[in-house]
Amino acid sequence: MSGMIELEEPKAAEHQMRDEIRQISDKVRRRRQLRSTMMVALCAIALCITAVPLFLLLYQLFNRGLPVVLHPGFYTQLPQTPNLITPNATGGISNAIIGTLVLSLYASIMAIPVGVLVGIYLAESDSKLAASLRVIAQTMAGAPSILMGLFAFSFIIRDLHIGFSALAGSFALAVLMLPVIIISSEIAVRGVPNTLREAGLALGAKPHKVSMKIVLPAALTGIVTGIILAISRAIGETAPVLLVIGGGYINSWKPLDPVAAMPLSIYENAKSEWPSLRTEVWGIALVLVVFVFVLSLSARIWASRKQQAR
Amino acid sequence: MSIVIPPPPDFTTHEEEAAEFNSAASSRTWYHYLLIFAALLFGAVSVGFVGTIVWNSAPEWAHHTGTLLGGNGWQSPLGPFGGLAMIVGTLETSVIALVIAVVIGLGTSISIVFLIPRRFRNVVATFVELLAAVPSVVYGLWGFLVLAPWMLKTVIPWLNSWPFAKELFGNVGQEDGQSLLLASIVLAVMILPTFVAISREVISVVPNDLIEASLSLGATRWQVIREVVLPTAKIGLFGATFLALARATGETVAVALVAGGVANVQFHLLYPGTSIAAWIATEFGEAQGNEVAALMALGVLLMLVNFGLSLISRWLVSRQRKVLAVV
Repeated sequence: MSGMIELEEPKAAEHQMRDEIRQISDKVRRRRQLRSTMMVALCAIALCITAVPLFLLLYQLFNRGLPVVLHPGFYTQLPQTPNLITPNATGGISNAIIGTLVLSLYASIMAIPVGVLVGIYLAESDSKLAASLRVIAQTMAGAPSILMGLFAFSFIIRDLHIGFSALAGSFALAVLMLPVIIISSEIAVRGVPNTLREAGLALGAKPHKVSMKIVLPAALTGIVTGIILAISRAIGETAPVLLVIGGGYINSWKPLDPVAAMPLSIYENAKSEWPSLRTEVWGIALVLVVFVFVLSLSARIWASRKQQAR
Repeated sequence: MSIVIPPPPDFTTHEEEAAEFNSAASSRTWYHYLLIFAALLFGAVSVGFVGTIVWNSAPEWAHHTGTLLGGNGWQSPLGPFGGLAMIVGTLETSVIALVIAVVIGLGTSISIVFLIPRRFRNVVATFVELLAAVPSVVYGLWGFLVLAPWMLKTVIPWLNSWPFAKELFGNVGQEDGQSLLLASIVLAVMILPTFVAISREVISVVPNDLIEASLSLGATRWQVIREVVLPTAKIGLFGATFLALARATGETVAVALVAGGVANVQFHLLYPGTSIAAWIATEFGEAQGNEVAALMALGVLLMLVNFGLSLISRWLVSRQRKVLAVV
């Protein structure tokens, strides 16, 4: 009899202890789960907080910009300054569109050849010069764009006495684009498999032939993507051109004329006292954003297509 | 008649040729010189970039270093040109913007990587990167024409109902919408996509093995994030932070549009102020003589800060790569 009781009693205590442990661990687990759910929910809230202003920005841009950009004269007319008699006259932004195209064209002519060549050099040389140029390029890629404006002002306008012009503006933008093109070209050229190079060399091709006929075509996608991204960044920059292009009010393709630019028109019209100009400014911003989106999206899509093809 | 032994043909082995190819210095062709020329040209441009700005600011540094770093107030045509207001304004706006952007941005990147279904993840990532490409003047325009009136109509009356609002923000309600606080908010919205784009990438390359291992040990989702993902990605996240800070300090036109452009040391955030870059942009047009040199000197300050930040961030990112390589 007593033996049975002795056997039963520890069993009951064990059960009780097990239950207690289970209860505690359940509590701990529930608390951990609750904590996890709460923190993950906080992250989701952060995502919403990020999304709200950015969606608002895009919505207001399209909402206020669309009525302006649907007017065909917006693209073909020169701007008019509103006055007391015609307070609603704004004209168009043909000078700013042409100015932006001119600036990015000349900047590309200056920056692309040098940038691609330096990128190839950095990828294929392991000299000290290459190492230090790489650090310089990476540092300059993040430099505040207003500094490019100060540089263009001191060098082109002060030292070379060229004056406020498209040339000075595109020089500033070229300095801005150079490091971006250099870095992306270097990455693209480094990405070409060494077996391709070795195959070319084994067939007896001279090193420079291999570099030009084999490596460069293989790296072309990456290089072009980098160039497009650099241009799309340069198109939107206000600060460097603000100091040096002079804000011309005519349509001109000549490098030595003062020109306008879309970002600059946005900056100046936004500060204007005239309500009509403040309405028009949303149209300019929409055109600019569409320009930039189309450029960077096409670069992205093209790059991914080519990658899949390979 | 002696037998002429032809000299052995000029064989170069595969290794030699590859070595020749790799060290550009030994392949003396026009192509090689072209590359060297381009590299030297870029070197010259970068030296000229730093050199001309420093050189043009030299007269101010030589005579008025103290005023530039510690003087308050900017008397436009003749001076003195005090830079303290811009330095303080840059610090205030970029640090507040950074705190907002990092706290919200970290949560955003975590939810992009761990919450959003795989199908939509690429779409969201592309969208974020597109937003990072929106020109800063557009953010400035939005802040100036949309947020500033909203601040005036909604936020400032609401702040007025707070007990210590006056001590904290200044004489609430008397200013127009432009203020240091607005500049900080616009900067935060602007650097958010940049920060999220980088931190998302840093978080998403944390090896899946680590995450699965800790999940299999019974860790909750948050425990995995806090104990495994964030520590592994820590250094890269710091790099992203410094990069965002560099972008915030260098931002020009957005701040020029919304900060108000008043060169006065200001700790009350609802008063207008300015930053180094914004001040250069707004004052440069009418500047003459010594003022140009003073603005260039501000540019040198900006350059030092920016280069320092980007060096730190690059060092951190390269350390992150090493950490991941060990893992």
